[in-house]
Amino acid sequence: MLTSESVLDGERGLSDYAIEAHGLTKVFEKKAKAEALGLKRLYRRVKPKKDKVVAVDHIDLSIKEGELFGLLGPNGAGKTTTIKLLCTLLLPDEGTATVNGYDVVKQAEKVQESIGVVTGGERGLYWRLTGRENLWFFSQLYNVPDHLAKERINKLLKLVELDERADEQVEKYSRGMKQRLHVIRGLVSDPPILLLDEPTLGLDPASARVIRDFIKEELQKKLGKTILHTTHYMEEADQLCDRIAIIDYGKIITLDTPENLKKSIQRTDIIQINVSNFKQEDEEKIGALEGVQKAVVTFTDPTVGEATIKVHVEKAEEVMPIATEFLIKNGARILTLEQTKPTLEDVFISLTGRKLRD
Amino acid sequence: MKIVKDWRTFKAIFLRNVKLFTSYKSWIIATVIWPIPLLALNVYQYKPLGTDAAISDALKNYGFSNFAGMIIVGTIVYLLYNRLLWGTGVSIQSERWMGTIEVLFVTPTNKMIVLIASGLSSLLEASWWIVSIFLLSWALFGVQPTITSWFCVFISLVSTMAALVSIGVFFAGFFVLTRAADQLASGLQAPVRFFSGVAFPVSALPQMLQYFSYLFPVTYGISAMRKSILIGGNIEAIWLELVLLYVMTTIFLISGYFTLKAVERQAKKKGTLYLF
Repeated sequence: MLTSESVLDGERGLSDYAIEAHGLTKVFEKKAKAEALGLKRLYRRVKPKKDKVVAVDHIDLSIKEGELFGLLGPNGAGKTTTIKLLCTLLLPDEGTATVNGYDVVKQAEKVQESIGVVTGGERGLYWRLTGRENLWFFSQLYNVPDHLAKERINKLLKLVELDERADEQVEKYSRGMKQRLHVIRGLVSDPPILLLDEPTLGLDPASARVIRDFIKEELQKKLGKTILHTTHYMEEADQLCDRIAIIDYGKIITLDTPENLKKSIQRTDIIQINVSNFKQEDEEKIGALEGVQKAVVTFTDPTVGEATIKVHVEKAEEVMPIATEFLIKNGARILTLEQTKPTLEDVFISLTGRKLRD
Repeated sequence: MKIVKDWRTFKAIFLRNVKLFTSYKSWIIATVIWPIPLLALNVYQYKPLGTDAAISDALKNYGFSNFAGMIIVGTIVYLLYNRLLWGTGVSIQSERWMGTIEVLFVTPTNKMIVLIASGLSSLLEASWWIVSIFLLSWALFGVQPTITSWFCVFISLVSTMAALVSIGVFFAGFFVLTRAADQLASGLQAPVRFFSGVAFPVSALPQMLQYFSYLFPVTYGISAMRKSILIGGNIEAIWLELVLLYVMTTIFLISGYFTLKAVERQAKKKGTLYLF
């Protein structure tokens, strides 16, 4: 395999992987808060201090051709920064990465030709143009011949059932329609690799399902694309991805298939208790009960103390009576109590002690 | 082939801009209406000084026999400067506002082509202005051009426009870096308007200030246009202005290219590309 140092401009490195990253790191400088700087700054002619934020911290990734790889983590974990490093929108401070065998720094144009980037949200489309005009515009920027572009655009519009609204201005589209347009915009150049950054963000469940099915069935199974998919929806990662890397504070904390990740905490039993009249101050106490490894409380209605408590324990049968007794003694009312199978959220809790959406 | 790729980029950007411009019908009308008060302001500030003939007589010392024409040509070039600075220099900033800067920068396109296409599509809008403003000036202020060589008018206009697009290319890089393109563009308006002699002959300025005027391409654009439109100047009369415009165009384009490269790299390093 060629190392990034030996890669010449335009030459493709030999690699078994569609995407590879080694020690990839991105540090941002952020102006320190004024109060933290103190009054001295007013008198000293010095530059304001800058805090350093490590957004991506020495991550290693190897994604095989045709794989649907998930990057799962809470907001601010470093998922989008990783995508931006891989799609050449950011320059890494340390480490190397190749996409389709091309170095993301030295062969940025080749990388750009190899990828389609899809972002979530309302941005990234020209609202005053029609859906078809948007797709044609991007096809030209990717150097697709006109006749081929038109043919491909028609096919793509049909695939996501936008063909009947294709000649309407994008500003008239619903959120779900815009997102479908985003996804096919990433396909106008027929790239072998797709980088999908939270493609279902903010969509209603039905629209999100349409996008998810399209990604799995069409993009991966039929078209054989390599896909790097970031999300903070654990169910989505679980359903779609062949392998998942869980990222937190810029670091990959674990990486495996969804099944293996869940198996890794199989020795842990999980008790899920739905309660009312639960007091916030009891959250720490329940975590300190004998036999409890971790307890995470999610308030569904804080005004009446309605909450879901997930208790990670070694043996459920031993802890269940202790936990219920504690709750009743402290005035909580148990609504339901069950032993559940571990989810990816439980994997995250087990590794970080926090909920995915904290 | 690179040239085909660049042509596709050029065509896509050009057509997109035309479509965006024409999708706002009110813009098309507004672009013609709003310069009128500026034109009128410039013309009427001379009016209390005497009759039109007396003012034109006084301006003869500076080589002009029609004061309204002098002002109108100056104002048109100044408006063109504003339009092209906005159309070219702020085109990348506009992508930020539209939320499309990242999807644009992730495409394998030559960003210089993007800028030049944006500038030239602004020229299409600008042509609409020029024709409309001339017609309105003729109707409102009775300006009668004295043209002996249409070729000179054409070459003056094209050379001025090329120089103005190159200024836009030059500033585009700074606008990517500063994220305050509109303030910077606005901040440049008054100095350019003053030093280029939009509403008066540059030769009326004190010598010291004239040196500053010579630094602005708009000065040469106005001068070449006034000579070819108002005093029937031929190629011998405007050759110096044309040469200086070409030199400045070359300098601005080359330095703009390197500035944009450097600034794009800096924005990708700092992660400021998408920030407003």
